[in-house]
Amino acid sequence: MPDVGARPTTIPHGASKSAPRIDLLAFAVRFQSLIGLVLVAIGGVIFSPVRHGHILFLAPDNIANIIRAISETGIIAVGMTFVIITAGIDLSVGALLSLSSVLTATMMVSVGWGLAPTLLAVLVVGAAFGAVQGWISTRFRLEPFIVTLAGLQVARGLALVVSNNQYINISYGDGPGLAPPIFAILGDRLFDNTVPVATLVFIAFAVVATIVLNTTRFGRYIFAVGGNERAARLSGVPVTAMKISVYAITGLASAAAGIVHAGQFNFGSANDGTGYELTAIAAVVIGGTSLFGGSGSMVGTVAGSVMLGALANILQLNNINAALQLLATGAIIVLAAVLQSLVRRREGVTR
Amino acid sequence: MNSSKGIDRQRRALQASALAGAAFALMATSAAGAPLVKECAKDGKFVIGFAQANNAEPYRQHVNDELTAAAKAVPQFTLQIADGAGNVNTQTSQVDNFITQKVDLLLISPFEASPLTPVVARAVKAGIPVIELDRRTVGDPGKDYTAFIGGDNYKIALEAGKFTSDTLLPGGGDVAVLEGLPSSTPAVERLNGFKDGVKANAKINIVAEQAADWLPDKAQTAFSAMLQAHPDIKVVYASNDMMAAGARLAAKGAGKDVKIIGTDGLPGPAGGIRAVAEGEWAATFTYPTGGKEAIDMAKSILLDCAASVPTTVTVPTLAITAQNAKSLMGN
Repeated sequence: MPDVGARPTTIPHGASKSAPRIDLLAFAVRFQSLIGLVLVAIGGVIFSPVRHGHILFLAPDNIANIIRAISETGIIAVGMTFVIITAGIDLSVGALLSLSSVLTATMMVSVGWGLAPTLLAVLVVGAAFGAVQGWISTRFRLEPFIVTLAGLQVARGLALVVSNNQYINISYGDGPGLAPPIFAILGDRLFDNTVPVATLVFIAFAVVATIVLNTTRFGRYIFAVGGNERAARLSGVPVTAMKISVYAITGLASAAAGIVHAGQFNFGSANDGTGYELTAIAAVVIGGTSLFGGSGSMVGTVAGSVMLGALANILQLNNINAALQLLATGAIIVLAAVLQSLVRRREGVTR
Repeated sequence: MNSSKGIDRQRRALQASALAGAAFALMATSAAGAPLVKECAKDGKFVIGFAQANNAEPYRQHVNDELTAAAKAVPQFTLQIADGAGNVNTQTSQVDNFITQKVDLLLISPFEASPLTPVVARAVKAGIPVIELDRRTVGDPGKDYTAFIGGDNYKIALEAGKFTSDTLLPGGGDVAVLEGLPSSTPAVERLNGFKDGVKANAKINIVAEQAADWLPDKAQTAFSAMLQAHPDIKVVYASNDMMAAGARLAAKGAGKDVKIIGTDGLPGPAGGIRAVAEGEWAATFTYPTGGKEAIDMAKSILLDCAASVPTTVTVPTLAITAQNAKSLMGN
């Protein structure tokens, strides 16, 4: 569909929209997830149970709980941000996480591969899986929604095949059938039991992704493709290659999350990761990235992920039931989307 | 200790035999070792955290209901239930939160065994007694966690198998099996139990087995196809009540009279007890929740300062058949 909105984007410098004036609403939207995170944190402190004068919500082990819990979906959300900026979507991520956890467990336990070859192979498979989805989507001009929906089914099916319908336990040690003990570090917490290793992987992933998105030509191209595909193509951006590569990135992220999953929980399971795609998309949207593409923020995605984790945490600390958690998350997603829509309308962009 | 006080106490004990009994019980426990929980007290206030695997399954809702009812009867207890939503990551973080809250006792139905093992170890390390319900983590009760209470999936399905070979089909025939979610532990155990149960009768043929993921709609589809391929199926074993309900719809649609066996024996209008009472199914085998047993154990740990508890409590299954279903409906 032709882009009727007259968007004065100069390609390939579309990364930051030229703001004609200081716009309070736009400012709020740009930092909505950070603001939301701060609000949730303040609410967390106010409503936190207190024991022996200590605010439970702020206890180091509680903070560790929050950031450990969101590490897997956080890694996926970081990858998802690239895809959504190109106005795409990837529904296969949760299933691919499960396939990756199964592959990791199988290769180390049943096949007897070492740590490095296993991890490398799983990451390559994940990236390739994503790239194939991207290729199918661009080559046959299919909606990524459909292609990745099919990818979800395929990944789950493959996971069941590889795991032979069993869940695969990982035991550690030397010798056949045992995984290298160092792999179990993914389930540990460093520095006096406060920093979960799974979170470190998430942070590393997020830092690299932020740098790539904000400082490289690759990042600028991604914004350009999402902002106005035709214009991007006309100005020499390799649109097809960019589109394939963002799905390779989500594939890679899902594989990394699957490895973290296998390491944290000592198993590979074909049933895990259900619904992770929706959590990741929610974090991205709350983070201020537009589902219409062309604008977005990696920092926002990270803040959105942490916010969802902090919200679930404070609700549970207060023994508020699961139904209300879902309602609260739903309300926040709608609010985030409404704010974005208001900004778009103000900018005169109608799609 | 002051000796005159000791004599005084003895005298009083002689006067009141009830008091003497209590003192003896107290001495007996202290002789057996320190109580499992130091802060135990008859009149204390205790928070029990229950990490449920997945509220969305009717069986687990039934567990929550029974636990809640049992806990309500104990005014000293406050029960908090967290829904793991069928996700090992969510459940791990909820147990971590319970540890942060320093709950006085942790109950857990782990969604899967080995993934929840590390967090259970963290709770034990934090000094929280852990009672595992229905499913266990890796390790031994009494050592890696306090106790396990639950049914035995394999034995329950074995009973269903024996019931099939002895009562429903002594003359043999075609049998179908609807399996739970593949690669989940209870699905595998119930499948194996049933197969071993019918082995005694060589004339029974298991002609079809399909996974229907515990879901009624998938069971209906799968069993319709089975009936197409094997029109002589006489008995279908469903690994839970919901799949049995799906199988019943399929049999009705095909106009076949198939004897249906469920598992779980849930109460309520959608449950297996009603279905058996009204003659829709041949039988269902309860999967006991252990809710009452768990609260009883919590009482002996937190209120009675028990120094030890039985490390494994296997709650037996109950066969619900045409004979007893109607009277059970009343309860």
